[in-house]
Amino acid sequence: MIRKNPFVYYGQKLLIFILSVLLLSVVVFYVSRLAPGDPLVSYYGDRVEKMSVEERRWAEDKLGLNDPIHVQYVRWVENALEGNFGISYKYKMDVLEVIGGRLANTMILGGVGFVLIFVLALGLGIFCAWHEDNWLDRVICKVGTITSCIPEFWLSLVLILIFAVNLRWLPSSGAYSVGNKDDILDRVVHLILPMTVTVVNHLWYYAYMIRNKLLEEVRTEYVLLAKSKGLSKKNILFKHCLRNIIPSYLSIMAISVPHILGGTYIVETVFSYPGIGTLSYESARYQDYNLLMILCILSGIVVILCNMIAQVINERIDPRMRENEIAETSEVTNVG
Amino acid sequence: MDKQFIQVGIRRIPAPATKKTKWYEGKPIVSMVILGIIVLGCVCCDLFIPKDPTYMDLYHTNVAPNGEFWFGTDTMGRDIFSMIWYGGRISLFIGFFATVISTAAAILFGAISGIEPKWLDNLLMRLTDIFLSIPGLLLIIFIQAILGRANVLSISFVIGITGWTSIAKVVRTEVRQIRNSEYVVAARCMGAGFQRILWKHLTPNFISSIMFMVVMNIRGAIAAESTLSFMGIGLSLEVISWGSMLSLADKALLSGSWWIILIPGVFLIATMVAVTNIGNWLRKSANRKESNL
Amino acid sequence: MTNLLEVKNLSVSFHTAQGELQAVRDVSFSLRPGEVLAIVGESGCGKSVLCKAIMKLLSREAYIKGGSILVEGVDITNYGEREMERLRGKLFSMVFQDPMTSLNPTISIGKQIAEAVQIHHPKMTKSEVYDKVIELMKLVGIEEPEERYRLYPYHFSGGMRQRSVMAIALASNPRMLFADEPTTALDVTIQAQILDLLREIQKKLNTATILVTHDLGVVARVADRVAVMYAGKIVEIGTAREIFYDARHPYTWGLMRSLPAYAKEDQELYTIPGMPPTLVDPPRGDAFACRNEYALDIDYEEMPPMFKVSDTHYAATWLLHERAPEIKSPVEGMKLSVAGRNVSMAGRNVSGTEKIASIEVDTAKYERAESEEKSPVMSETAGALEVESAEPSASHDDILLDVQHLTHQFKLSKSAVVRAVDDVSFQIRKGEIFGLVGESGSGKSTVARCVMNVYRPQGGRILFNGIDVCDRKQFKENQKLLQTARQIIFQNSTSSLNQRMKIADIVTEPLEIHHMKTARGTLRNEAEFQLHYVGMDKSYLDKYPSELSGGMRQRVAIARALSMEPELLVADEPIASLDVSIQAQIINLLKHCNLEHGCSILFIAHDLSVVRYLCDRIGVMYRGKLVEVAPTKELFENPRHPYTKRLLSAIPVPDPELERSRVISEFDSAQVGQNGQDESGGSGQVELRLAGEPMSDVNGRMVEVCPGHLVMKGGHE
Repeated sequence: MIRKNPFVYYGQKLLIFILSVLLLSVVVFYVSRLAPGDPLVSYYGDRVEKMSVEERRWAEDKLGLNDPIHVQYVRWVENALEGNFGISYKYKMDVLEVIGGRLANTMILGGVGFVLIFVLALGLGIFCAWHEDNWLDRVICKVGTITSCIPEFWLSLVLILIFAVNLRWLPSSGAYSVGNKDDILDRVVHLILPMTVTVVNHLWYYAYMIRNKLLEEVRTEYVLLAKSKGLSKKNILFKHCLRNIIPSYLSIMAISVPHILGGTYIVETVFSYPGIGTLSYESARYQDYNLLMILCILSGIVVILCNMIAQVINERIDPRMRENEIAETSEVTNVG
Repeated sequence: MDKQFIQVGIRRIPAPATKKTKWYEGKPIVSMVILGIIVLGCVCCDLFIPKDPTYMDLYHTNVAPNGEFWFGTDTMGRDIFSMIWYGGRISLFIGFFATVISTAAAILFGAISGIEPKWLDNLLMRLTDIFLSIPGLLLIIFIQAILGRANVLSISFVIGITGWTSIAKVVRTEVRQIRNSEYVVAARCMGAGFQRILWKHLTPNFISSIMFMVVMNIRGAIAAESTLSFMGIGLSLEVISWGSMLSLADKALLSGSWWIILIPGVFLIATMVAVTNIGNWLRKSANRKESNL
Repeated sequence: MTNLLEVKNLSVSFHTAQGELQAVRDVSFSLRPGEVLAIVGESGCGKSVLCKAIMKLLSREAYIKGGSILVEGVDITNYGEREMERLRGKLFSMVFQDPMTSLNPTISIGKQIAEAVQIHHPKMTKSEVYDKVIELMKLVGIEEPEERYRLYPYHFSGGMRQRSVMAIALASNPRMLFADEPTTALDVTIQAQILDLLREIQKKLNTATILVTHDLGVVARVADRVAVMYAGKIVEIGTAREIFYDARHPYTWGLMRSLPAYAKEDQELYTIPGMPPTLVDPPRGDAFACRNEYALDIDYEEMPPMFKVSDTHYAATWLLHERAPEIKSPVEGMKLSVAGRNVSMAGRNVSGTEKIASIEVDTAKYERAESEEKSPVMSETAGALEVESAEPSASHDDILLDVQHLTHQFKLSKSAVVRAVDDVSFQIRKGEIFGLVGESGSGKSTVARCVMNVYRPQGGRILFNGIDVCDRKQFKENQKLLQTARQIIFQNSTSSLNQRMKIADIVTEPLEIHHMKTARGTLRNEAEFQLHYVGMDKSYLDKYPSELSGGMRQRVAIARALSMEPELLVADEPIASLDVSIQAQIINLLKHCNLEHGCSILFIAHDLSVVRYLCDRIGVMYRGKLVEVAPTKELFENPRHPYTKRLLSAIPVPDPELERSRVISEFDSAQVGQNGQDESGGSGQVELRLAGEPMSDVNGRMVEVCPGHLVMKGGHE
């Protein structure tokens, strides 16, 4: 098989990336504008109802809502290229400013959560595979299945009920206590419950996947050869089996980044945690177009980027993928 | 000559009776029973629920579980025990209906991708990949947020059209594999048409491999409905489902009425765990192999 | 000399859902240093389990029920995993059947060998390990080891992978090597190379070897002693000569008699009746009794003990009891006829050297013939005898299938093309069985699929009864006829039957497709009739394919094909995955179809001994080209193409004396292709055939050397 030179390879990927983001922005722009609802409500609030026809028209002109959609889109792109993404109708601020602090909050919750999930899932998966069908493995599998079935919002509610309402150990909402914005410890305390929910909710899905992939590897014949040459169980599991599943685990984890970040959204809502999640919901609900655009494009970039990383891992790191290209030759070409 | 040593040649000996495994062996009996009770109870709830689940008894709001109200009442004075069974119908229906929609979409999509030429397949699969990496729940919430309040059918539809991707991928792989398998080649040589191959060969064979995911989809749809209703963009309070019952949780938290949160939640989770166990059993029974380690 | 390994009354069982499966029952044998012991038997007889049990490689469901395993007098039966790890690799190691799956696909070959070296020599420096790996790779015949060190398994062909596996197994110089069907997954010519390598290494390193196989030819080539296993027991054990020339157990007789190599052309192949018993609840008495035409009354009552025939030869059959009736061995005096040379079965009076002499005479004859052809007169006439006119004996309407200049290629990527079939022409006459032979990847299956319209060939014509099946218009017009008159049987009976259809539905599927009137009323009656014809009763009608054994499934596939009463049956390696005794049943069935229905068969195989027995004419394919076509007898007696000669000489012959002294003809692949073939090339064949270098290496014209015998000439000359 012919390997492309890396420059061309990554150049192609970059091109696809830019095109996808552009396409995404078009779709979001059109869909958001076609959806039912009145964007003026988010700007003027209840006053909209009392507006006369002329006032309404003036307001729409001011926000540029009366032009055909493609004109609006071109204008938006032009401004965006200059770094001006418009103002939020609701907050009456530059959208970048609105997002700023909340993005960091979400990144902390999602990012740390992701790392925790990644590491714990690996450990737990290997542990279960090592003790396959042992009582330990069985208990963990049972508990894991149950935890993965608990909806995030319900787990959040129960944890709040126990630790905030009844025991009063932990705060139930916000990212920090009033007036304690720069107190790191206070922020950490506020993170405990949301983080727990995020990790518990996703952990078993990935741990179980690792366990099953490992158990599949263990059933291949090369394990027998490795064993017959005198390799110990530990070495076979780590040096052979784990090594073979790592590329696919990495690529799956890459695709999962948006899922885990997206999962924090519900958690943010229940815990009133000021993050991107709550903001996205509001912007979609109230037709806050500029805010919606930037949020969609941000999440789109994350999704597309993660997808590409996964693809690169598959195509470049795992030697078996190269093998498959050769194997996929005998396809039926014609029906009599 | 010895009688024992007479040459008798081949004699038919009766085949040893193979030990019949008991029908329930290896099956997730507990899960099946629990799911059976829940489904049956919800379907036949009219026969046994003591109160009208929609009746708001304003004299008895927020009553803790007692002899009259077995599971207590909610903040609006409705009997939770009656609501559980009554609302379960809606939740289960949404789970079922959304799965029907997503499975149909997945099979259509996957089958086209599996049968059609390479370029279309590539395109469709790229699309699926992107779709797959968008968190489904988030997508549902966005679509619902844009659409506004939902009814039972629209919510099933939204959940359904966002949940087809992973099944579509499996269908596509299976279709590719089966399509090149020798029994399909043999059928083609005999002159079997597209319809026949589709219904006699393709469908029965990939159904078994997607069964697990379909079952898991039911679980996902039930969870999605409850989350949506909890967020206030799903079913309204008047339409009783496990999700809409939980949307009262905010108020319950303030008053410390644990039963309003815990009891519907336990039913919800019990259903989902039972479904998951059955799904896992379906997957495991599809391939059994022994460890070499 | 003391025994290296001694197994005493070993029993191994598995826990299964149906109960205890007694895979190995009361087996005792010993192995001396440096000897080769072959264990032979049908699949499922416990031979693999026995080896794995000794190395403790079995899954957790298996357990040693009784008996002991002694290594140099030390009992290792109860050794734990830790202790076994120290022994594995150093004391014994194993080579597995499928080299495609027994190497880790993500680690380079060199590293995998290096790992094996390091396990028992942790103190070695990196360069020492590297040197050792290179040395090992050279030992197993991997050329240019320095370059191959970094390559991954998928770069290697099957034979090369098996060599790598052997290098791994030999890394710590083990005293014993278990080879579990090491050549079954390989081509005939590669198989011969691996076997020679095995024997060579065994001599060089004095490694005792246990070779597990179902192929008696393989056994004859390498084994010093042979153990025959049936239903988890060793039924006969002795030296190779004793087993081959003086077998005593009826099962051993049966195995030998069902070999096509012993068959007389006009007779049906012998088959062992019935099926091996289930080992969950093994029958009382001798497990083989119900398939044994010589069974005694006591066989059904009591398990026979091991009777001593000589100091080295034991057999477990009541026939050896002093009170048993005298029975003459049916194997005695059987004639072995392979490659056209008849050798007496009890041929101990003919010395090996004499036989070799006769082979050399043959070769000399061939060379003489070749030099004659080179004369100008011959080549002139050859030019006139192009393929189309090459069949003077066959009148035009006698020909059922006429394949003309068939070419088919697979596209790998934009720039890479594999020409799987390249300008292949042959004819099949009505009522004829035509064999197509070649190694895997030689394009024979592609030819079959082109004939069946599964692939649309890029070039050439295929005329079936004068209809061009590749022409869309002609195909449309004659669709029904073409689809009913041609039927196909595949190699893998598991994948060629839909697992979710009942046998009755499978058999009548073609009838249903064409809405044909059934001669026997209902479809079900039809299915019953067809099943009966292939030797299955109606109790199978409502079963699913997964409930049937491999041979049974292949019968169902044949029944399905026959339900259309086809004129042409394309059989694509129908017996390759079956046991010897089952193979014989299927071959008989095919022969029967041919004789009774008069249907022509295109029989594709890599096993030449089967082809010889079954086919009227044979075509040999090599890398997409048809290099030789001749009537069977002519081809075996007078092979012309160097590749054919090599193929013929690589067939293992189930006769130890003949087999061991036989030299496999060297086939200089450079003579035919500038790329070294499989073994010297290293990287997979597919890659060798990438765009720039198509199959131009096997160019040439078909030349008729004598009536009906065409050989490819030219290209390399």
